[in-house]
Amino acid sequence: MAQVKERPKPFLVSDYCKGCGRCVSVCVKGCIAFADEINPTTGVVPIVLDLEKCTGCGLCIDACPEPYGLRALEAGEEFELQDPAKLFGDKLREVTKPVDIPAEKVALPKTGPLVIKGNYASAIGAILAGCRHVFGYPITPSTEGAELMAKLQPKLGGVFLQAVSEVATVNHMYGTGGAGLPTMTFTSSPGFSLMLEGVSYMIGAEVPGVFVNIMRGGPGLGNIAPEQADVKLACHGLGHGHTHAITLMPSTPQEMLDLTILAFELTFKYRSPVLVMADGYLGQMTGKVQLPDHMIKPGIPSWAVYGDRDHRGNLISSIQLQESDLEVFNRYLQTKYESMKVEARSETFLTDDSEILLVACNTPARAAKGAVQNLRDHGIKAGLFRPITIWPFPVDQLKALLPKTKRLVVVEANAGGQIENELRLALSLAGVEKLPPITSVRRFGGLLPQQTEVVDHVMSICGK
Amino acid sequence: MSVFYEKFERHAHGEGLKGQSTHYCAGCGHGLAHKYLADAIAELGIQDTTVLVSPVGCSVFAYYYFDTGNTQAAHGRAAAVALGHKMANPEATVISYQGDGDLASIGLAETVAAAQLGAPITVIFINNAIYGMTGGQMAPTTLMGQKTATSPDGRNQFNGMPIKMAELIAQLDGPVYVERVALFSPAERRKAAKAIKKAIQIQKEGRGYAFVEVLAECPTHLKLMPDQSEKWVKENMVPIFPLGVKKDTVGEPWFKLAEPDFDAKHFVKAVGASSDATDRFCKTFATHLNPIDISLKLAGSGGDGAQTAAMLIATAAINEGFDGTHIPAYGPESRGGTSYADVHVAKDEVLNPASPTPDILLAFNAPSLAKFGITVKKGGFILYDSSIAKDVKPMDPSITVVGVPFAEIAAGLGNMVVKNIVALGALQAATGLFPKETFMAAIKQALKDKAKLIPLNEQAFDAGVKAAQEFLAAKKR
Ligand code: SF4
Ligand code: SF4
Ligand code: SF4
Repeated sequence: MAQVKERPKPFLVSDYCKGCGRCVSVCVKGCIAFADEINPTTGVVPIVLDLEKCTGCGLCIDACPEPYGLRALEAGEEFELQDPAKLFGDKLREVTKPVDIPAEKVALPKTGPLVIKGNYASAIGAILAGCRHVFGYPITPSTEGAELMAKLQPKLGGVFLQAVSEVATVNHMYGTGGAGLPTMTFTSSPGFSLMLEGVSYMIGAEVPGVFVNIMRGGPGLGNIAPEQADVKLACHGLGHGHTHAITLMPSTPQEMLDLTILAFELTFKYRSPVLVMADGYLGQMTGKVQLPDHMIKPGIPSWAVYGDRDHRGNLISSIQLQESDLEVFNRYLQTKYESMKVEARSETFLTDDSEILLVACNTPARAAKGAVQNLRDHGIKAGLFRPITIWPFPVDQLKALLPKTKRLVVVEANAGGQIENELRLALSLAGVEKLPPITSVRRFGGLLPQQTEVVDHVMSICGK
Repeated sequence: MSVFYEKFERHAHGEGLKGQSTHYCAGCGHGLAHKYLADAIAELGIQDTTVLVSPVGCSVFAYYYFDTGNTQAAHGRAAAVALGHKMANPEATVISYQGDGDLASIGLAETVAAAQLGAPITVIFINNAIYGMTGGQMAPTTLMGQKTATSPDGRNQFNGMPIKMAELIAQLDGPVYVERVALFSPAERRKAAKAIKKAIQIQKEGRGYAFVEVLAECPTHLKLMPDQSEKWVKENMVPIFPLGVKKDTVGEPWFKLAEPDFDAKHFVKAVGASSDATDRFCKTFATHLNPIDISLKLAGSGGDGAQTAAMLIATAAINEGFDGTHIPAYGPESRGGTSYADVHVAKDEVLNPASPTPDILLAFNAPSLAKFGITVKKGGFILYDSSIAKDVKPMDPSITVVGVPFAEIAAGLGNMVVKNIVALGALQAATGLFPKETFMAAIKQALKDKAKLIPLNEQAFDAGVKAAQEFLAAKKR
C-alpha cells in the first residue's frame, strides 16, 4: 500500500486576514468561521480555523486573496514560534543587488565622408551611439529616419518596430529605455505632441530615450514644410508636471549625426529623455558627414529593469504616492535640471568684434551665417550666436558677448518669437537687466527666413 | 516558497500591517489573480527573468508585491511598454497585467496592436465590469443596466455596450492562446490558475502572444459582500462574457531576435562608408565662379534628374575636399510639377545652403528658366535645355547663357535617363566648376552597383561637354 502523505492544513496570522469570507463558504468540513470579535489591530472581523475535521484539501487557501493570508502549513512546521514575516518559507532567491554593466567603445576604421541627408545622419548617429532599438510612426518630414532604421537595424541585429501610433511609440521606448538600453524615435511636430504624456512619464520614472523631432508647420495639421514652432513645447511644455529635457538644435547634417550621438550620452548621463530638434529643411539637406573614430556598445545600467537576475530588484515607476515623497522627488528633479545647465552649448561666428549680434538655430542659423558674411562685405560688424542647446539656454556664453553688442537680431522660423522668448527669459533669470534693443526676422507657415531678408533687416536698422 | 516580497516595503514604506497586506479591498479578485500569477512564476522557475508591467487602475501597485523586475506604465500603455521590454531582452518573461479601463478603453489601440503583432508576451486582463480606482464609474465592460457612478440609471444604449475582449482578441491572427476564466468557485479558480500558468509557459517557450481574461470581483463598487459578488459575477457576467478557451493554436517556438551587433566592419558596410581614399583632380577651387562659395540651382520637372545631378555635384565637391550641400525642393512642389535643388560648393564651409540668388542655374525646362533665370547673380551662368527653350536672352549682359539640347542628345544616345548627365557635361565645359575627372569619379561612385551603365554615362557627359563648347564657340563667332 502506497503511503498517503498527509496533506498540509491551513493556518492564518489573524492580522493578515481582511475578513472577506471568501474562504468560509468553500470549506465543506465547516472548519472556517468568522470570529466573534473584531481584531483590534486591523479593525475587521477575521476568520478563525477549527482544523479538527480538516482534510487539507487546500480549497480555502486557493480562495484567499491575500498573499500572506491563508497558507499551507507543512507537516511539522510550527508557525507560532516564528516571526510572521519569516513564516512563508525560503525565498526562491535573495533579492539581488543590481549591477552596472558598463558600455564599451568599439574602434572604427578611418573612412571618407558620407554625403547624406540630415535625417540619415541622425539615424547613423543613433546607431553609432549603440542604439539597436528604434520605434516609430511614419510622419513627414521625418520618415527617412525611420526608413533607414528599418533597413539598417536588421543588418546590425537591431529592432525597428513600426508602432501603431506615437502614443505606442513612446511607450515602447519607455519599456526598452526602462530595460536600460538606448532607444529612439524619429517624429515630427504633431507626432511629438502625441508623445508628451509618455515623455512626462519617462522624466518621472527617469527613463532615457532620444526623440528626434523634425519640426514642421503648425498648429494642427499645418503643413509638412519646415518651422521652429516646437521650441516652447520643448522648453516649457513637455507634458504634465515638472518636466524639462536637454534640447539640441543641429544646423548641419554633420551636427545631426554628432548631436544625436551626444543626445544618447546625455540621456544616460542624466537618466532623462533628450530631444534633438531640427527643422524639416535640415532633415532633407544633404551634406558632408564625417564618421567618428568609434562606436558605442552599450552596457546595462544598475537601475535597469532588464529582466535578468542582476537587475531583478529594480522598479521603473513615476509614482510617489505620499505627498512628502513626491516633494522630495521633485526637489531632486530640480537639482538634476540645475545640474544639466553645464550642458549648455553654443557656437559663434565672427563675434570677436561684432556689434550686431544675430541669434539663430537650425537652418535659419545657416541663412544668418550667410547674412553675416554679406553684412561684413557691406562694412557692418555682424556676428552670429547660435545656441546648440535651446534648453538649457547658453546664457553665460551669450552674456559674455553682450558688452560690445549694440543690437540683437533673432532670426527664427516661427510667429511668436519662441527662440527670442527663451533668450529673454534666460537673460532675465540670469539677472541681466540692461539689454540691447532686440529686433527679429521671422518667417513661418513653412517658410524660412532668407539670407537676403536678414541682410535687408540689419541694413535697415543700421540706417543703410 | 513565494514570488511575493517577504515584506511589501513599497506599500507605504512597509509600515505596520501594510508590510504584509495588499492594498486591495477585502475580497477583491486582484489578490487571487496575483496569487496564481506568483505561483505560476515560481513553478516555471522564471522569477529572475520576469518583468511585470503594472497598469493604471487598482492594480497600479502590483509592483509592491512581486519580487520580480517591475515597471509601472501610463494608463492603457502596459502592452506597449511590455513590448519595449521584450524587444530589449527577448529572454525576459514580460507580463502585462491590466484592468478593464486600462486594457479595453484607453489602451484599446495598444492592446489590439500588441496582440496582432503576436510577439510572445503574456497579458492578464482583469475584468470586473467597473472602474475601481477612480471610484466606481462605468467601465467598457460594465453590463447593460448596471448602475455605476457615471451610468446612474444603469448602462443603456447611449453608453454603448460591454466589450468582449477575449472574443475580440481571439479573432486576431496574432495571438496563439486566449482564454476567459473566473474566480467565483474552487473549480473556476483552478482553471484560472492553470490558464495563467499556460499563458506564461507559452511565452517562456517563445511560442507567441497569450491573453487571459479573468472575470473578477470588485465587492466595493458592486456594493456587495464578497460572497455575493462571487455570485453576481457568476450570474450576471458569465452570460455576457462566456468562460472558456477562445483560441488555442499554440504551435512551434518561433520568436527569436538576433543579438545586437557592434562589429565595426558590419557597421561600416551597412552605412556604405568606405576607407578607400577618393582621388582628387581639382588643382584649385573654382574662384572664378565665386571666391569662397558657389551656389547653384538645378530646376526641372519630376523626371529630369535634377536631384540626382545635384547630389552628384555635392558629392564631387566633398570628394575634392571642399564642402558641398544639396537641398531638394521640399514640400508639395516635389510631387509632380517643378523639381528643383539648391546646391552649394564651398571652399571651406557652406554658410547658407539655400540658393536664392545662384551663381549658376541649370534649367531643364522653360518654366524653371522663367522662374529662376531672373534670380541669377550678375556675372553668373545659365545653362538650359535648348531642345525645349530656344534663343534665350540673358536678363543681364554679364550673365553667360548656354543652350544645350540635353533631351535631344540623350535621346540620340538611346536613353533619356542620361539627360542630367549631358547637362553636367555642359556645366563642366561652360563653367569649369570641376575638371571632368571629378564629375566622372562621382558618377562612377554612384553607379558602383550598376557598372554596366558607366560607358553610357561617360558618352553622355562627353556629348554635353562637346555641345557646350560648340555653343560657346559659335557665340564668339
Ligand atoms: S483545507 Fe479544506 S478542509 Fe481544511 S479548512 Fe481549508 S477548506 Fe476546510
Ligand atoms: S479569504 Fe483570507 S482574507 Fe478572506 S476571510 Fe479568509 S482568510 Fe481572511
Ligand atoms: S475597488 Fe474593487 S477592484 Fe479595486 S481594490 Fe477594491 S475591490 Fe478591488
